[in-house]
Amino acid sequence: MIIPVRCFTCGKVVGSAFPAFVEKTRQGENPAQVLDALGLKRYCCRRMILSHAELIDEVLPFG
Amino acid sequence: MKIKVLSAAPEAMRLLIEETEPAYANALRRVLVADVPKMAIEDVEFHLGPIRAEDGKEYESVSPLFDEMIAHRLGLIPIPTDLGLYNRREGCPNCHGEGCPNCTIIYSVNKRGPGLVTSADLEPIGDAKLRPADQKIPIVKLGDGQAMLVYATAILGDGKDHAKWQSTHGVGYRYYPILKAGTKTLDALDPEVPFCESHMQSTATEEEETLELASDCKTCKKFMDLYKVESVKAGNDPTRIVMEFETDGSLSTKAVLVAALDILAKRFSETATQASALA
Ligand SMILES: [Zn+2]
Ligand SMILES: [Zn+2]
Ligand SMILES: [Zn+2]
Repeated sequence: MIIPVRCFTCGKVVGSAFPAFVEKTRQGENPAQVLDALGLKRYCCRRMILSHAELIDEVLPFG
Repeated sequence: MKIKVLSAAPEAMRLLIEETEPAYANALRRVLVADVPKMAIEDVEFHLGPIRAEDGKEYESVSPLFDEMIAHRLGLIPIPTDLGLYNRREGCPNCHGEGCPNCTIIYSVNKRGPGLVTSADLEPIGDAKLRPADQKIPIVKLGDGQAMLVYATAILGDGKDHAKWQSTHGVGYRYYPILKAGTKTLDALDPEVPFCESHMQSTATEEEETLELASDCKTCKKFMDLYKVESVKAGNDPTRIVMEFETDGSLSTKAVLVAALDILAKRFSETATQASALA
Protein backbone atom coordinates (compact mmCIF):
# COMPACT_ATOMS: atom_id res chain seq x y z
CA MET A 1 0.00 0.00 0.00
CA ILE A 2 2.29 2.77 1.28
CA ILE A 3 5.79 2.23 2.64
CA PRO A 4 5.69 1.45 6.40
CA VAL A 5 7.20 4.17 8.61
CA ARG A 6 9.42 1.72 10.48
CA CYS A 7 10.98 -1.70 10.04
CA PHE A 8 8.57 -4.34 11.39
CA THR A 9 11.38 -6.22 13.10
CA CYS A 10 13.81 -3.73 14.60
CA GLY A 11 11.95 -0.41 14.51
CA LYS A 12 14.40 1.61 12.44
CA VAL A 13 12.74 4.36 10.37
CA VAL A 14 12.67 3.11 6.77
CA GLY A 15 9.85 5.27 5.31
CA SER A 16 12.11 8.13 4.29
CA ALA A 17 14.55 5.77 2.55
CA PHE A 18 12.02 4.38 0.08
CA PRO A 19 11.56 7.44 -2.21
CA ALA A 20 15.36 7.85 -2.31
CA PHE A 21 15.84 4.14 -3.10
CA VAL A 22 13.33 4.23 -5.98
CA GLU A 23 14.87 7.39 -7.40
CA LYS A 24 18.45 6.08 -7.29
CA THR A 25 17.77 2.57 -8.60
CA ARG A 26 15.75 4.04 -11.49
CA GLN A 27 18.87 5.92 -12.46
CA GLY A 28 20.64 2.58 -12.71
CA GLU A 29 22.52 2.45 -9.41
CA ASN A 30 23.21 -0.92 -7.79
CA PRO A 31 20.37 -1.64 -5.28
CA ALA A 32 22.72 -3.21 -2.72
CA GLN A 33 24.96 -0.16 -2.70
CA VAL A 34 21.98 2.21 -2.50
CA LEU A 35 20.69 0.34 0.58
CA ASP A 36 24.16 0.50 2.17
CA ALA A 37 24.37 4.23 1.47
CA LEU A 38 20.94 4.74 3.05
CA GLY A 39 22.24 3.13 6.25
CA LEU A 40 20.08 -0.01 6.03
CA LYS A 41 22.62 -2.62 7.08
CA ARG A 42 20.38 -5.24 8.75
CA TYR A 43 18.47 -7.57 6.45
CA CYS A 44 15.19 -6.90 8.30
CA CYS A 45 15.32 -3.25 7.22
CA ARG A 46 16.55 -4.06 3.70
CA ARG A 47 13.61 -6.38 3.03
CA MET A 48 11.17 -3.61 4.04
CA ILE A 49 12.36 -1.62 1.04
CA LEU A 50 13.04 -4.48 -1.39
CA SER A 51 9.74 -6.30 -0.91
CA HIS A 52 7.49 -3.25 -0.87
CA ALA A 53 4.75 -2.85 -3.50
CA GLU A 54 3.68 0.79 -3.73
CA LEU A 55 -0.07 0.53 -4.42
CA ILE A 56 -1.32 3.76 -2.84
CA ASP A 57 -1.94 5.28 -6.29
CA GLU A 58 -4.33 2.43 -7.14
CA VAL A 59 -6.64 3.17 -4.18
CA LEU A 60 -6.26 6.96 -4.33
CA PRO A 61 -9.43 7.52 -6.43
CA PHE A 62 -11.56 5.50 -3.97
CA GLY A 63 -10.77 7.64 -0.88
CA MET B 1 32.63 -2.16 35.18
CA LYS B 2 34.38 0.17 32.75
CA ILE B 3 32.76 1.63 29.66
CA LYS B 4 34.83 2.76 26.69
CA VAL B 5 33.15 4.30 23.65
CA LEU B 6 34.68 2.75 20.51
CA SER B 7 32.77 4.90 18.03
CA ALA B 8 29.94 7.37 18.43
CA ALA B 9 27.78 9.06 15.81
CA PRO B 10 24.57 10.95 16.66
CA GLU B 11 22.52 7.88 15.65
CA ALA B 12 24.81 4.88 16.21
CA MET B 13 27.21 3.92 18.97
CA ARG B 14 29.61 1.07 19.66
CA LEU B 15 31.05 0.60 23.11
CA LEU B 16 33.32 -1.73 25.00
CA ILE B 17 32.34 -2.78 28.51
CA GLU B 18 35.26 -4.21 30.48
CA GLU B 19 35.55 -6.04 33.82
CA THR B 20 31.94 -7.12 33.49
CA GLU B 21 29.76 -10.14 32.80
CA PRO B 22 26.84 -10.76 30.42
CA ALA B 23 24.19 -10.03 33.10
CA TYR B 24 25.31 -6.40 33.34
CA ALA B 25 25.36 -5.93 29.59
CA ASN B 26 21.91 -7.47 29.33
CA ALA B 27 20.55 -5.17 32.07
CA LEU B 28 21.84 -2.21 30.07
CA ARG B 29 20.35 -3.59 26.84
CA ARG B 30 16.93 -4.03 28.40
CA VAL B 31 16.91 -0.51 29.84
CA LEU B 32 17.98 0.93 26.46
CA VAL B 33 15.12 -0.85 24.70
CA ALA B 34 12.28 -0.56 27.21
CA ASP B 35 12.94 2.14 29.79
CA VAL B 36 14.56 5.21 28.24
CA PRO B 37 11.60 7.56 27.60
CA LYS B 38 11.00 9.68 24.49
CA MET B 39 8.24 11.79 22.98
CA ALA B 40 5.79 10.30 20.46
CA ILE B 41 2.39 11.29 19.11
CA GLU B 42 -0.35 9.66 21.18
CA ASP B 43 -3.59 11.56 20.50
CA VAL B 44 -4.72 12.57 17.01
CA GLU B 45 -7.80 14.64 16.28
CA PHE B 46 -9.14 14.67 12.71
CA HIS B 47 -11.21 17.46 11.23
CA LEU B 48 -14.27 15.87 9.63
CA GLY B 49 -16.46 17.36 6.90
CA PRO B 50 -15.55 19.83 4.17
CA ILE B 51 -12.38 21.95 4.36
CA ARG B 52 -12.54 25.33 2.64
CA ALA B 53 -9.25 26.71 1.28
CA GLU B 54 -8.32 30.42 1.18
CA ASP B 55 -9.06 30.50 -2.56
CA GLY B 56 -12.64 29.37 -1.89
CA LYS B 57 -12.19 25.84 -3.22
CA GLU B 58 -13.84 23.17 -1.13
CA TYR B 59 -12.02 19.95 -0.22
CA GLU B 60 -13.29 16.76 1.32
CA SER B 61 -11.54 15.51 4.45
CA VAL B 62 -10.93 12.02 3.08
CA SER B 63 -7.80 10.07 2.21
CA PRO B 64 -6.97 6.59 0.87
CA LEU B 65 -5.99 5.36 4.36
CA PHE B 66 -8.26 4.96 7.38
CA ASP B 67 -7.85 7.68 10.03
CA GLU B 68 -6.61 4.99 12.44
CA MET B 69 -3.80 4.09 10.03
CA ILE B 70 -2.78 7.73 9.69
CA ALA B 71 -2.82 8.18 13.48
CA HIS B 72 -0.63 5.08 13.83
CA ARG B 73 1.83 6.34 11.22
CA LEU B 74 1.99 9.76 12.92
CA GLY B 75 2.80 7.99 16.19
CA LEU B 76 5.81 6.25 14.66
CA ILE B 77 7.47 9.47 13.49
CA PRO B 78 10.50 10.30 15.69
CA ILE B 79 9.90 13.52 17.65
CA PRO B 80 12.92 15.47 18.97
CA THR B 81 13.05 14.98 22.73
CA ASP B 82 14.84 16.92 25.46
CA LEU B 83 14.81 14.57 28.44
CA GLY B 84 15.71 17.42 30.81
CA LEU B 85 12.62 19.39 29.79
CA TYR B 86 9.73 16.95 29.54
CA ASN B 87 7.77 15.18 32.28
CA ARG B 88 5.29 12.38 31.93
CA ARG B 89 1.84 13.91 31.47
CA GLU B 90 0.17 11.97 34.29
CA GLY B 91 2.83 13.08 36.78
CA CYS B 92 3.50 16.58 35.45
CA PRO B 93 4.02 19.00 38.38
CA ASN B 94 2.97 22.04 36.29
CA CYS B 95 -0.40 20.91 34.99
CA HIS B 96 -1.29 17.67 36.84
CA GLY B 97 -2.17 15.87 33.61
CA GLU B 98 -3.98 18.70 31.83
CA GLY B 99 -1.22 19.15 29.25
CA CYS B 100 1.35 21.97 29.19
CA PRO B 101 4.60 22.83 27.34
CA ASN B 102 6.56 20.67 29.84
CA CYS B 103 4.69 17.48 29.08
CA THR B 104 3.02 17.76 25.66
CA ILE B 105 3.85 18.95 22.15
CA ILE B 106 0.96 19.82 19.83
CA TYR B 107 1.41 19.46 16.08
CA SER B 108 -0.89 20.38 13.24
CA VAL B 109 -1.04 18.98 9.72
CA ASN B 110 -2.89 21.10 7.23
CA LYS B 111 -2.44 19.77 3.73
CA ARG B 112 -4.51 19.85 0.55
CA GLY B 113 -4.23 17.33 -2.27
CA PRO B 114 -3.08 16.24 -4.69
CA GLY B 115 0.25 15.32 -3.18
CA LEU B 116 2.20 13.37 -0.60
CA VAL B 117 1.82 14.31 3.07
CA THR B 118 5.21 13.85 4.77
CA SER B 119 6.70 14.38 8.21
CA ALA B 120 7.74 17.86 6.98
CA ASP B 121 4.05 18.85 7.09
CA LEU B 122 3.97 18.32 10.88
CA GLU B 123 3.95 21.89 12.19
CA PRO B 124 4.74 22.20 15.90
CA ILE B 125 2.64 24.76 17.75
CA GLY B 126 5.38 26.75 19.47
CA ASP B 127 9.10 26.06 19.07
CA ALA B 128 10.26 25.35 15.48
CA LYS B 129 13.04 23.14 16.95
CA LEU B 130 10.35 20.52 17.62
CA ARG B 131 9.96 19.74 13.91
CA PRO B 132 10.72 16.05 13.20
CA ALA B 133 14.40 15.63 12.32
CA ASP B 134 13.55 13.27 9.45
CA GLN B 135 11.49 15.42 7.07
CA LYS B 136 10.98 12.80 4.36
CA ILE B 137 8.77 10.14 5.97
CA PRO B 138 5.63 9.59 3.84
CA ILE B 139 2.42 9.68 5.92
CA VAL B 140 -0.32 9.42 3.30
CA LYS B 141 -1.01 10.45 -0.28
CA LEU B 142 -3.93 12.76 -1.08
CA GLY B 143 -5.84 12.88 -4.34
CA ASP B 144 -7.40 15.87 -6.10
CA GLY B 145 -10.08 17.46 -3.91
CA GLN B 146 -8.89 15.58 -0.81
CA ALA B 147 -7.48 17.40 2.22
CA MET B 148 -6.28 16.69 5.72
CA LEU B 149 -6.57 18.86 8.83
CA VAL B 150 -5.24 17.16 11.92
CA TYR B 151 -4.12 18.08 15.44
CA ALA B 152 -1.73 15.65 17.05
CA THR B 153 -0.47 15.59 20.64
CA ALA B 154 2.88 14.04 21.56
CA ILE B 155 3.61 12.87 25.10
CA LEU B 156 6.47 11.16 26.91
CA GLY B 157 6.34 7.37 27.19
CA ASP B 158 8.60 4.32 27.16
CA GLY B 159 9.14 1.22 25.06
CA LYS B 160 7.30 -1.03 27.51
CA ASP B 161 4.00 0.55 26.45
CA HIS B 162 4.45 0.87 22.69
CA ALA B 163 7.27 0.54 20.15
CA LYS B 164 6.73 4.17 19.13
CA TRP B 165 8.27 5.15 22.50
CA GLN B 166 11.29 2.90 22.01
CA SER B 167 14.28 5.20 21.71
CA THR B 168 16.83 2.63 20.47
CA HIS B 169 16.93 -0.24 18.01
CA GLY B 170 19.47 -2.79 16.88
CA VAL B 171 20.72 -3.09 20.47
CA GLY B 172 23.04 -6.06 20.71
CA TYR B 173 26.22 -7.25 22.33
CA ARG B 174 28.77 -10.01 21.99
CA TYR B 175 31.87 -11.18 23.79
CA TYR B 176 35.17 -9.67 22.84
CA PRO B 177 36.65 -12.22 20.40
CA ILE B 178 39.95 -13.91 21.21
CA LEU B 179 41.90 -14.54 18.02
CA LYS B 180 45.16 -16.44 17.57
CA ALA B 181 47.05 -17.06 14.34
CA GLY B 182 49.61 -19.77 15.05
CA THR B 183 51.24 -18.62 18.29
CA LYS B 184 50.46 -14.95 17.72
CA THR B 185 47.56 -13.36 19.66
CA LEU B 186 45.66 -10.76 17.63
CA ASP B 187 43.21 -8.01 18.51
CA ALA B 188 40.09 -8.83 16.47
CA LEU B 189 38.79 -5.24 16.66
CA ASP B 190 42.05 -3.72 15.43
CA PRO B 191 41.23 -2.28 11.97
CA GLU B 192 44.61 -3.62 10.73
CA VAL B 193 43.52 -7.22 11.39
CA PRO B 194 41.25 -8.67 8.66
CA PHE B 195 38.71 -10.21 11.04
CA CYS B 196 35.99 -12.21 9.23
CA GLU B 197 32.67 -12.11 11.10
CA SER B 198 31.42 -15.15 9.16
CA HIS B 199 34.34 -17.54 9.62
CA MET B 200 36.31 -16.46 12.69
CA GLN B 201 33.54 -16.33 15.29
CA SER B 202 33.40 -19.07 17.85
CA THR B 203 30.72 -19.92 20.39
CA ALA B 204 33.27 -21.37 22.81
CA THR B 205 33.72 -19.54 26.09
CA GLU B 206 35.73 -22.06 28.12
CA GLU B 207 38.61 -22.73 25.76
CA GLU B 208 39.55 -21.79 22.24
CA GLU B 209 38.34 -23.59 19.19
CA THR B 210 40.32 -24.18 15.98
CA LEU B 211 38.46 -22.94 12.90
CA GLU B 212 39.41 -23.71 9.30
CA LEU B 213 39.39 -20.59 7.15
CA ALA B 214 37.52 -20.35 3.85
CA SER B 215 39.93 -19.61 0.99
CA ASP B 216 37.03 -18.40 -1.20
CA CYS B 217 36.15 -15.65 1.34
CA LYS B 218 37.81 -12.29 0.67
CA THR B 219 38.49 -11.39 4.30
CA CYS B 220 39.67 -14.88 5.24
CA LYS B 221 42.00 -14.96 2.20
CA LYS B 222 43.54 -11.66 3.27
CA PHE B 223 44.03 -13.05 6.77
CA MET B 224 45.62 -16.27 5.45
CA ASP B 225 48.05 -14.34 3.26
CA LEU B 226 48.93 -11.87 6.00
CA TYR B 227 49.69 -14.42 8.73
CA LYS B 228 50.53 -17.48 6.54
CA VAL B 229 47.99 -19.74 8.27
CA GLU B 230 45.19 -22.12 7.19
CA SER B 231 43.22 -21.93 10.44
CA VAL B 232 42.72 -19.70 13.47
CA LYS B 233 42.16 -20.33 17.14
CA ALA B 234 39.04 -18.45 18.18
CA GLY B 235 37.44 -17.96 21.56
CA ASN B 236 35.49 -15.44 23.60
CA ASP B 237 36.26 -13.30 26.61
CA PRO B 238 33.08 -13.06 28.77
CA THR B 239 34.57 -10.29 30.93
CA ARG B 240 34.77 -7.90 27.97
CA ILE B 241 31.65 -7.13 25.97
CA VAL B 242 31.23 -5.16 22.77
CA MET B 243 27.83 -3.49 22.55
CA GLU B 244 26.14 -1.66 19.68
CA PHE B 245 22.95 0.35 19.40
CA GLU B 246 21.20 2.93 17.22
CA THR B 247 18.66 5.62 18.02
CA ASP B 248 15.74 6.72 15.86
CA GLY B 249 16.86 10.36 15.94
CA SER B 250 14.58 11.48 18.79
CA LEU B 251 17.54 11.46 21.14
CA SER B 252 21.29 11.39 20.51
CA THR B 253 23.15 8.15 21.30
CA LYS B 254 24.97 9.94 24.10
CA ALA B 255 21.75 11.19 25.71
CA VAL B 256 20.22 7.69 25.49
CA LEU B 257 23.25 6.01 27.08
CA VAL B 258 23.48 8.55 29.91
CA ALA B 259 19.73 8.25 30.57
CA ALA B 260 19.92 4.42 30.57
CA LEU B 261 22.83 4.36 33.04
CA ASP B 262 21.01 6.87 35.28
CA ILE B 263 17.90 4.68 35.32
CA LEU B 264 19.98 1.59 36.20
CA ALA B 265 21.87 3.42 38.96
CA LYS B 266 18.64 4.75 40.44
CA ARG B 267 16.99 1.35 40.35
CA PHE B 268 19.91 -0.41 42.05
CA SER B 269 20.24 2.25 44.75
CA GLU B 270 16.51 1.97 45.49
CA THR B 271 16.86 -1.81 45.82
CA ALA B 272 19.89 -1.38 48.09
CA THR B 273 18.02 1.09 50.32
CA GLN B 274 15.06 -1.25 50.63
CA ALA B 275 17.30 -4.24 51.30
CA SER B 276 19.16 -2.43 54.07
CA ALA B 277 15.84 -1.40 55.65
CA LEU B 278 14.95 -5.10 56.04
CA ALA B 279 17.67 -5.85 58.59
ZN1 LIG C 1 15.11 -3.62 10.69
ZN1 LIG D 1 2.27 19.40 32.08
ZN1 LIG E 1 35.52 -15.43 5.95
